[in-house]
Amino acid sequence: MNETFNFSRFWTYFKYDLKQMWRNHSKAAILIGGASAIFYVLWLLFSLVFAQQWTTPPIAARVAVLILAFAILELYQVRTYGYLTEKKAGSSWLMVPASKAEKFVSMLLVTIIVIPLLFYAVYFLIDGFLSLVDPTYGTALFAGAFDAYRGLITGLSEISGGSPIELNATNLIFPSIVSVFCNFLYFLLCGICFKKNKLVGAIAILFGLSLLLSLLTGLVVPHFITDGTFFNIDMNDEMAIASFVTKIMNISVALTCILTIGLAWGVWYRIKTIQH
Amino acid sequence: MIEINNLGFSYGPKAVLKNISMKVSEGNIYGLLGENGVGKTTLLTLLCGLKKPLEGTISVDGRDPFDRKPSLLSEQFYLPDEVSPVHAKAIDFAKEHGVFWPNFSLDLFKVILAEFEVEANQRMDAMSAGQLKKAWISFALACKAKYYYLDEPTNGLDIPSKAQFRKAVTKYTTEDSTLIISTHQVRDLENIIDPIIILDNQAVLVNASMQEITEKFYFDYGTEIQPGALYIEQTPGGCIQVYPNTTGEESKVNVEAFFNTVHAHKDLVKPMFNK
Repeated sequence: MNETFNFSRFWTYFKYDLKQMWRNHSKAAILIGGASAIFYVLWLLFSLVFAQQWTTPPIAARVAVLILAFAILELYQVRTYGYLTEKKAGSSWLMVPASKAEKFVSMLLVTIIVIPLLFYAVYFLIDGFLSLVDPTYGTALFAGAFDAYRGLITGLSEISGGSPIELNATNLIFPSIVSVFCNFLYFLLCGICFKKNKLVGAIAILFGLSLLLSLLTGLVVPHFITDGTFFNIDMNDEMAIASFVTKIMNISVALTCILTIGLAWGVWYRIKTIQH
Repeated sequence: MIEINNLGFSYGPKAVLKNISMKVSEGNIYGLLGENGVGKTTLLTLLCGLKKPLEGTISVDGRDPFDRKPSLLSEQFYLPDEVSPVHAKAIDFAKEHGVFWPNFSLDLFKVILAEFEVEANQRMDAMSAGQLKKAWISFALACKAKYYYLDEPTNGLDIPSKAQFRKAVTKYTTEDSTLIISTHQVRDLENIIDPIIILDNQAVLVNASMQEITEKFYFDYGTEIQPGALYIEQTPGGCIQVYPNTTGEESKVNVEAFFNTVHAHKDLVKPMFNK
């Protein structure tokens, strides 16, 4: 028997994990995913009551709700596997005959792939449905997102045309995805580490770390990059500015990648060492 | 075979288990007894791999339980005192959860659950504490595991269910199954447990079969008080007395009286079983 990773056993475990996730969190995921419908109904009610008009939310408000709902989904990750710290449910999970690696991979897949996909599927389906049934609602965000993306890429190529700063789909989309993974993993890790006040603890640490990192970055990184000449950059020298911005962007992506790997390692270490 | 060598565990500065060594042989139903706080639950959680020993080693068929390797996890089942109320029907929980134990039988789960008079289609999070315990016991036994670690399994069970539990344990575990049952309800289980392990603060006072106990102690259920009795308990219509067995005569062990004897005469009893 392969004690570390067996694909057949992993598949069995992954299906089991998905069922547990669906059973315990589907209502919350659908509620968060259904934020567009809730927002639509509220907006409509208010406009009917106070203005006696059939008004639907403008696109900017809809995008803001999408971003807000996604942020709530990120925060919700403290709950997805939060039961691991509970004595009863956590003990039961630890005693399921699957390897630590299988449980870890399944946990990562559920957290960073399945839940976001489920969220987007529910969100865009509801949003698409609303745009179909109500002509005043406007274009579905999913269709609009493609147009916005195409516009962004075209705009960026025009902006960066002739400029040494490389702005393209890869160095914009990749960091965004890694950043989302990083956020999800952070809240997952807090969820499986803190026994109580998971969300408050996660936000407090995030706040403290952000403050510390901002200070460190502001003090150390510019000197490191420009060999102490940061404050002497010639603002008329396009090449110098472009080089600096590119370096900053690359370092930011590298740091996010390192942080994401570090958080994944933290999750793995927690799974490996958790005791009840 | 489970081998425990110089096991030590503490919660912060408070040592719970210290220098514990013993062997647990296959095919027996061990009764793990001890006062509150001596570390019975801690020992069970160490045995099943929920905790890591701070000192010493545990070996289950040559494997370290804290590695939590699937091969060992699929051969064992730990039933805590307080079980988790799963958000599912009992039958669905068993179907989904049972696939990880190679010998699990859904039919057996249904049979045991029916014997406990619990509906298989009932949601576990809507069950009473006793029903939930019965559902988990049914699931545990249906896993047909080799090693069972049961922490206070009869807590919360009604009187018929306690009898049903005894029946199910003897009927549905295989001959090579080893059960370690921690309990304070010795009367619930005294007909099925043999050998007995009595834990004390940081020591194993007794790890002996009923045969060994009767060889060393005589349990007198008569009315006449014996002068050399180590323990006397008045009962309606008589008394239970425990005294050293000097004649070699056999008697029926009263586990509760034996526990109280050991508890009152630790220094005398411990060397008798730890030669």
